[in-house]
Amino acid sequence: MVQRYRIRWTKEARTRFISARDLTSVWERGLRRVDLPIAYSEGFTPHPKVSFPDALPVGFASTGEYAELTFAAPIVPDRDLARLSDTLPAGMDITTYLAVPDGAPKLARMLRATLWELVWPPVDVAELTTLLTRRCDELLAQERAEVVRHRPDGDRTIDVRPAVLALAASARPTAGGDACTVLRAVLRNDGPTVRPTDLHAALSHEDIAEPALYRRVAQGEPVDGGLREALSAAVVPLVPDVDAEAA
Amino acid sequence: MLGAAITRRVPATPAREPRRSVRVAGAAAVPPPSYWDALEPLLTRVRKPAQYVGGEHNQVARDWGAADTRWLLCYPDTYEVGQPNQGIQILYEVLNERPRTLAERAYAPWVDLEQLQREHGIPAFSLEHHRPLWAFDVFAVTLPHELGHTNLLNLLDLGAVPIHADARGVEDPVVLVGGHAAYNPEPLAPFIDAAVMGDGEEVTLEIDDVLAAWKRDHLDGDATPGPEARRDLLRRLADVEGVYVPAFYEPRYHDDGRLRQTVAVEPGAPALVPKRTVQDLEQWPYPRKQIVPMTETVHERFSVEIFRGCTRGCRFCQAGMITRPVRERRPETIQKLVEDGVRDTGFNEVGLLSLSSADHSAIGAVARDLADSYEGTTTSLSLPSTRVDAFNVTLSNELSRNGRRTGLTFAPEAGSERMRAVINKMVSEADLLRTAELAFSEGWRHIKLYFMVGLPTETDEDVLAIADLGIRTYEIARKHGRANKVTISVGGFIPKPHTPFQWCAQDPPEEIRRKLSLIRHAIKDHGGLKLRTNDPEEGVIEGLLARGDRRVAPVVERAWKLGARFDGWHEMPTLETWMQALEETGVDLDWFSSRERDEKEALPWDHLDSGLDKAWLWEDWQDAQADKELDDCRWSACYDCGVCPGLSIEHDTGYTGGFQLPVLPQGLGGGSQELPTAPERYASDG
Repeated sequence: MVQRYRIRWTKEARTRFISARDLTSVWERGLRRVDLPIAYSEGFTPHPKVSFPDALPVGFASTGEYAELTFAAPIVPDRDLARLSDTLPAGMDITTYLAVPDGAPKLARMLRATLWELVWPPVDVAELTTLLTRRCDELLAQERAEVVRHRPDGDRTIDVRPAVLALAASARPTAGGDACTVLRAVLRNDGPTVRPTDLHAALSHEDIAEPALYRRVAQGEPVDGGLREALSAAVVPLVPDVDAEAA
Repeated sequence: MLGAAITRRVPATPAREPRRSVRVAGAAAVPPPSYWDALEPLLTRVRKPAQYVGGEHNQVARDWGAADTRWLLCYPDTYEVGQPNQGIQILYEVLNERPRTLAERAYAPWVDLEQLQREHGIPAFSLEHHRPLWAFDVFAVTLPHELGHTNLLNLLDLGAVPIHADARGVEDPVVLVGGHAAYNPEPLAPFIDAAVMGDGEEVTLEIDDVLAAWKRDHLDGDATPGPEARRDLLRRLADVEGVYVPAFYEPRYHDDGRLRQTVAVEPGAPALVPKRTVQDLEQWPYPRKQIVPMTETVHERFSVEIFRGCTRGCRFCQAGMITRPVRERRPETIQKLVEDGVRDTGFNEVGLLSLSSADHSAIGAVARDLADSYEGTTTSLSLPSTRVDAFNVTLSNELSRNGRRTGLTFAPEAGSERMRAVINKMVSEADLLRTAELAFSEGWRHIKLYFMVGLPTETDEDVLAIADLGIRTYEIARKHGRANKVTISVGGFIPKPHTPFQWCAQDPPEEIRRKLSLIRHAIKDHGGLKLRTNDPEEGVIEGLLARGDRRVAPVVERAWKLGARFDGWHEMPTLETWMQALEETGVDLDWFSSRERDEKEALPWDHLDSGLDKAWLWEDWQDAQADKELDDCRWSACYDCGVCPGLSIEHDTGYTGGFQLPVLPQGLGGGSQELPTAPERYASDG
């Protein structure tokens, strides 16, 4: 009996440098190590039925990756997906799962928006947070926000504004006792693609450096004040309650 | 600009004297810094960053203080090329199994990262903890060929270790090389502390013991070791059988520049350094816990070495000459290694490795049992074998039960019967054509044929015979299906030390190019027959380094200083750099490469004993020039090459009664088709 599961997983630490192309074999080998009955495609070069809704650029971190796994035989999801999580490289963890009933909407339709996070190094925190807050307000007040995306095959002008649902800059304490500036943004996934790097371009006015890290926090339905995460239905707030997170 | 990254506090590379606190054994050592935090922000700016992060399944990451001796094992090329190397993985495992030893891995950073490392002061590092090269006791480098020499110098320099051995002190790592190119380490003599010849399993552990004892005697305690301590370490290393310390030897030359002799100048250093040979492979079932890469590499599979050594006697083949005799792994051990390894790693491909895997005395049974085990699964089996006979096709049928019959590779190596007699590749044209007929009739669609040009005594007629053989094979291919393909792949021959061809002249690139164009012209009317060639200039550096002596070392250093890196890579054309280095150092390329040597001339590797008797090699060279072939001594009489009695060992195979086989396939070597085949399985393959 075929069983499908949707999972949310992380791509943090060293694994953020694994390319989308190489991920397929990382998952396949992990599945084989714990001997889970993943289904395979037909044909002479069968591939395990593990599908990813979209690719994360190399170097981006994520706590909001998703995948759909199709098994050819029943598994015990609590136990077996935990075993799978354990055998994956450190930094890749399965954090939640959901069995997929027949007739369920496509995974991509459950991921209408993404909560992104841009993290700067622990410098200029107060000044940068203030500046970003002002730029965010300005951008939200505009009807258009065009940026030029530079690519090897030529420049392309993109309007960032339609994708932006919410923006907030804040200062966050770091493990080292400093603070750093964090920009969180909810971007729509269902229009023309706008990447968080485009958002940075729209806000930087060439006086804000590239963030040290881009992170995809979660994906799901946009709601007031954040995002309803696709698999757990829990609301992930746009501005996290730092004290609550620390607790 | 707000929010720009602060200048990272990259840990400073300490001066050499204080490094001793890092080097001492056990918990007393100050662990060296990890460069991960400095490296990580740079990784978004380089190609294929996953190659630098480590953290793969089966990585071993041990505490610095828990080890008395610490090794950094290196393949001097990119991770993509070097990670699958079996030698490194074997040593990584056997060293890390020792309770008080630690081994980490390093590969060469691509030029983009190297530049950033130099800008930011990040030394060459290990993958496991991103520890600096200079902190380790041993920097052990495998040299499967000669094109890693400049990368080796570059890694030392990037690792804050003096590139010249005589400038290193007690605080610096010992620089060891092994692998096939270590059988002539003379072009690297000033840069390495020792070369280790032959099978690494036992000798590496002996070196580890020597190192631990030396550290106890010189590094522990409060006394400051004097300059003699380093020399004492070299002396102790030279006492280990199979370890060659170039500093203890001196070449003497004739007035005309030819080498007269390389002599030991250190009391106690052996006049002749023997290679090491593991007699019983069964005692070394490694690597078991193979690294599972998280990024693309050249071979992504669980590999089992099914035997070591080869006695086919192909005269051009250095690997076949220096790894004698043949030692097979038992079929049941192979089966167990594969089953455990596939389960442990999750690899979906198994490679049965050796120099000519179809020659294992029980390969038929091994292939059948594995094919049975994995039938109907997504695990595929591969067996690199280029043997030209029906048996190879039968084996390939068996191993491809789960997959598609796409390409088969055969290596006739030369086009004419005469030329194949010269190189001792005993296959007739009739054999080849029969094999092609069988392969295409059983549903294989593509045959690749490997050849060389530039072989000794070669005439244009011999070269054109390659084209002719390709055309005939292609005609057979077409008969069985219009979409069938034949590719002939032709490379330029490079003479290597410790082979019967070590005396011959290498064709210059212009001559190789001319011969390749003869072939290209001859096949131009056969559109479906493809020709693949390498740039003839690629063999120039390899040829110089393969047979060079110590006078070539300044060329290596100069080429590296001028920027040569990754000499084997198309992306990095370095020949012009080398030409400039040759000119600046006054070294004559032609004298080393395209000059035939005579019997009396001393060779730069004469004092390094691969087990082969030089007189026998010379005799075989004479036989080659007289078109005389020589049988394989696994299944015919011994011809006294010198290896077995010299090493007091022998072949260990099912052919020689070395072990009892559960099932012995019939007619081995003669093109048996006795294995069960089931072509109906592929009915849907069309």
